[in-house]
Amino acid sequence: MQTENPKTDLDKQDQEILALLKDYPMPQASAAYFDQALVRATHEGSRRQRNHWLMTGFGSAIAAGLVLWLIGGFFLTPPALPLADPSIPGITMTLEEPRTINLVFASAEALDAATLTVRLPAGIEMSGFPGQREVTWETSLKTGKNLLPLKLIATSPVGGEIFATLKHDDRGRTFRLRVDIS
Amino acid sequence: MSSVNHQQTFEKLVRPHFDRLYRLAWRLTGQKAEAEDLFQELLIKAYGKLDKLVKIDEPGSWLSRVMYNLFIDERRRFARRRMQTVEEGEMSGEGLAGLPGIENPARDYARQEQLAKLDAALSKLSDEHRLIVLLHDNEGYKLTEIQELIGVPVGTVKSRLHRARARLREMLVASGTFS
Repeated sequence: MQTENPKTDLDKQDQEILALLKDYPMPQASAAYFDQALVRATHEGSRRQRNHWLMTGFGSAIAAGLVLWLIGGFFLTPPALPLADPSIPGITMTLEEPRTINLVFASAEALDAATLTVRLPAGIEMSGFPGQREVTWETSLKTGKNLLPLKLIATSPVGGEIFATLKHDDRGRTFRLRVDIS
Repeated sequence: MSSVNHQQTFEKLVRPHFDRLYRLAWRLTGQKAEAEDLFQELLIKAYGKLDKLVKIDEPGSWLSRVMYNLFIDERRRFARRRMQTVEEGEMSGEGLAGLPGIENPARDYARQEQLAKLDAALSKLSDEHRLIVLLHDNEGYKLTEIQELIGVPVGTVKSRLHRARARLREMLVASGTFS
């Protein structure tokens, strides 16, 4: 039944909305999550303090490669050939233990609409994308360092290779990372 | 100061604010994975600024502002990443599935339906409006705390809050949640 006073209806709706908003749920983090986050912060923070440019593991490898690619791609004509580095960098992950890997992109200029694709082997998942073997998104790079943390988790003991491809216009480069599971 | 002492000092300063910061990360990003990334990034950044942190009178407020600034710096990436995935691109958050419900099943069903519609309506608000209405009407932030966090005058916060509620009311009435 409607009241005849529009203002009363409005007030009542506002009260109902406020009550509904108060009930709007919020997941709680576990104490274990907070403990892990703290440990990762102190370890990662210490590493970053030691080295402002290169991150650990995959990040280091990707960072070095992309610095070379971006400088080559945008300062030199024609673009420099990729460095001939026969070794594939690798990391070791622990089964079922999330690990954040930092991709560092150092760009000589701002880039809009770059595309980043990460391809994962079976048994390695990206947090937030369960079951997806390939994740692609568009991103922008600022001049200087751009950090993209990816949280990975190993769900099987097989391991494999991760491929990260960054493309802009008709240029692109793929990097590989070997993942072993302990 | 030794490394162990650093870690202990850091933990003592930041741990009391974990719940509030984690909730803020959720309210900013709307997704668990990205909220956890943001929370983690904040801790890493804060640890690197421990010398500054120990001298701050209200570390909770400072940490909230650092988190907000981190989010603003990376918002484009967060938004675009959400748009690229089919599962997550259709909603701003992870929805209501799996969240704790209310004890009374009869009331629970109707309430969950209303909350699902609220969730859908919130996802259609702008980031600024959604954040302000959730921080104020759900998390209990004062207007001055929101002002301090996002760096706009209280009058602007208040007008955005009113507009956000009005828009929510429109959408909830249109969806039949309220008559």
